[in-house]
Amino acid sequence: MSNLDLRSILKCVRCGTCRSVCPIFEQTGWESASSRGRMLVAHGIYHGLEADQDVLNSLNTCTTCGLCEQMCPSGASPTQIVQNARHHLVLKGKMTDSQAALRDEATSKGNPLGETRYRHAWLKNASDIKEHAPYVFFVGCLGSYRYPELTRRTFDLLKKFDVTLIPEEVCCGSPLLRTGSDPDFLISKNLEQIKKIGAHTIITGCAGCYTTLRNDYPDGLKVLHVSEFLAERLSEMNLKRLDIKVTYHDPCHLGRCNGVFDAPRKIITSICELKEMKTHHQQSRCCGAGGGVLKGYPDLSLALSKKRLEEIPEGVDYLVTSCPLCRTNLQRGGPKVEVIDILDLLEMAMK
Amino acid sequence: MLNVDLIEKMRKIVGKENLSISSCELYCYSSDASQIRGVPEVVIKPLSTAQVSEIIKIAYAHNISVTARGAGTGLSGGCVPLEGGIVLDMSAMNRIVEMDFDNLQVVVEPGIVQEKLNKALEPYGFFFPPDPGSSAMCTLGGLIANNGSGMRSVKYGTTRSYVLGLEVVMADGEIVRTGSKTMKSVAGYSLTDLMVGSEGTLGIITQAIIKVRAIPKDRSVIFASFDNPELAGKAVVKVLASGIVPSACEILDSNIIRAINTYDPKIGLPLAGAILLFEVDGSEAEVKEGVNLIVKTCEGLASGIRTASDKKERDEIWAARRLAGAAISRLDPMRTRVYVGEDVGVPIKEIPKMLRKVDEISKEFNLPIMTYGHIGDGNLHTGMCIDMLSDEDWMKLNAAADRIHRTAIAMGGTTTAEHGVGSARSEYMRLELGNALDIMIAIKKALDPKGILNPGKMGV
Ligand SMILES: Cc1cc2nc3c(=O)[nH]c(=O)nc-3n(C[C@H](O)[C@H](O)[C@H](O)COP(=O)(O)OP(=O)(O)OC[C@H]3O[C@@H](n4cnc5c(N)ncnc54)[C@H](O)[C@@H]3O)c2cc1C
Ligand code: SF4
Ligand code: SF4
Repeated sequence: MSNLDLRSILKCVRCGTCRSVCPIFEQTGWESASSRGRMLVAHGIYHGLEADQDVLNSLNTCTTCGLCEQMCPSGASPTQIVQNARHHLVLKGKMTDSQAALRDEATSKGNPLGETRYRHAWLKNASDIKEHAPYVFFVGCLGSYRYPELTRRTFDLLKKFDVTLIPEEVCCGSPLLRTGSDPDFLISKNLEQIKKIGAHTIITGCAGCYTTLRNDYPDGLKVLHVSEFLAERLSEMNLKRLDIKVTYHDPCHLGRCNGVFDAPRKIITSICELKEMKTHHQQSRCCGAGGGVLKGYPDLSLALSKKRLEEIPEGVDYLVTSCPLCRTNLQRGGPKVEVIDILDLLEMAMK
Repeated sequence: MLNVDLIEKMRKIVGKENLSISSCELYCYSSDASQIRGVPEVVIKPLSTAQVSEIIKIAYAHNISVTARGAGTGLSGGCVPLEGGIVLDMSAMNRIVEMDFDNLQVVVEPGIVQEKLNKALEPYGFFFPPDPGSSAMCTLGGLIANNGSGMRSVKYGTTRSYVLGLEVVMADGEIVRTGSKTMKSVAGYSLTDLMVGSEGTLGIITQAIIKVRAIPKDRSVIFASFDNPELAGKAVVKVLASGIVPSACEILDSNIIRAINTYDPKIGLPLAGAILLFEVDGSEAEVKEGVNLIVKTCEGLASGIRTASDKKERDEIWAARRLAGAAISRLDPMRTRVYVGEDVGVPIKEIPKMLRKVDEISKEFNLPIMTYGHIGDGNLHTGMCIDMLSDEDWMKLNAAADRIHRTAIAMGGTTTAEHGVGSARSEYMRLELGNALDIMIAIKKALDPKGILNPGKMGV
């Protein structure tokens, strides 16, 4: 029972505050799909509730967006408890097919996408990987394999500031952590190389990588999102003002969970006009992709994406975000405006 | 008895996606925010009155108990199915059926959440006044069934004052309409009033005609600090006797003050022995007069007094106050708020005495008891936090709660001013109600002869 701490489960007073904000509950309407329900399920598991498919579905339909945790008056940590309960069951061999697939791919290939290609294939010039540097750019799996163009352009910009790459980067471990599997081998492989490089700061463009590097890697490393790194260097970038309006989607794991709200907005507002979405900052609605939900429950994930897209204000030209996973899922939802990365916006202003 | 065939029959009525017998789901429907537990055999989410009626007819024919549930935020075990059977989750019947502002009313289904209703009314300049701490999550059905109320009840009354009529499915499945769209009607016994506060023991509410009020033009919040809760209690008695009717009058003791400051550090309440929060609403002139009168009346008793600077500060303090009860859990990582013995009410004059008694009980059992609540109508919430893993704490908690209940009754008060009897307080009904309980039992027998509706609740 190491991972399921009864006392932290019992912090929940079942007030239902979370039930009225959980986007997954809003979609299904069943208690087991609300965070209060998941807290009860965790409690049930502790007391021997059989971990059948319904229990797995209850626990695994949480996107770990953290909204419940933020609103919880009694200071319970439903998001953490969901992850602990998943881990507890995985240790007993109980998991969904999607959890198993994520774990197996990441274990055998170093990324949960099942890719066997060279991770830095997007890199034009291998000599850009330096042996030692104060900064490393942690690309992430989606950046490496799904958005190679964006990644190349991001790195072209970053490398001017003494930034290098991790030569044999592997998945940061986020998909495994969120879905209850053990990421230690991935973490050590990345860490060893970062140490060799001698970097004091890791820069990443993905919200999932960000929260993992910052909260699940050992202390002592500074972690910055690309937007934070560049927001401090805008004056060196010769930006021109664009006559457009954009809105911004706060990735849960960057904004609500880690408080990175200002840097992306600083970049945006120094380029063009920003019109906030209906919910933003701490209250921002989840895109629906996190916590393994996009892979495990694509329909549910799509429904959340559509709900989020309904919050785009009138009269904007782009929906800007700063996480490739959010971008992917928001794109799936059929947005009425183009979804772009914050880097894309920066580049438009640089040309 | 429930069996596979009956479940199949009911599944056909509501559709397969609206019925669950999954053990995981049943477990999630086995409690509310109280300590009462009971696992249902099936959870059904009806979408219409006709479906409710069909289900109840089957239940009636086969002696299956039926427990209605709104959002499950109750604090008395009201929606917990003590004898298994069916839980009817009414939260999917959540439409606003009609907005009839010329008649100052709306017709709603019971599953609508209080805050959602008020958000829908706001653009038209109206509101539904009863505002429990659970406004963001509790349903109108739950509020009606419990006759819930909140911070504004000192001026605006309880849910009962806003229910003009109901559509109810009775124990045999018959659909009955009570009340009318008129503001007054004396035709017959007031069955609407009988249903309000009946906690799902007499019928299932499927629609309600709700009176709404115009949103007041202006409001202002006053913070008055006191050296101890008893002084605050005295100030309340004085203010209410002065002729002013505040739209809220809340007490916070020193622990609750700390809990609120921890939940939302922006608020930064002064660390006094107790704080009274008064709200006055109405026209600009009325508010000004009310504020002046309250400030004057509290002088001499209060150690400090000020008004909230703007709407933002007002909204923040009320939002935090709403969740203060649960936020007590934040004060100590080892302890959790347990809702037991939390809802007594006493005659207004007895407030200072009740506050003193609670303090004595706290000392006697060596258990911190945090007091907050709607002191303007004599309703005190006594919040206790315990180590959930300590048997000794549980014993102390239950003994202290019992003493609080009996003390309130002895003062001519009640064990529950707004949260409901459910099964958490049913054992006190004889003591509190005397032979009036026999009348209740007779009514229950007449309307639900087989005893299928929410069995084991309210002492009936
Ligand atoms: C943090 C917190 C603060 C609270 N603050 C207050 C407060 O200030 N004032 C207050 O009054 N209460 C308060 N409560 C208690 C609770 O929120 C109220 O009692 C609320 O009215 C319950 O509504 P619900 O929808 O959750 O109902 P449930 O808990 O689901 O059910 C409550 C009762 O209503 C019955 N019921 C529900 N729907 C129907 C229906 N359609 N037909 C027939 N019977 C039905 C159930 O059988 C049960 O007996 C608070 C609770 C919490 C957790
Ligand atoms: S908000 Fe917190 S205490 Fe309330 S039900 Fe959710 S997890 Fe439990
Ligand atoms: S983290 Fe988000 S999805 Fe998960 S239970 Fe909380 S609110 Fe729901």
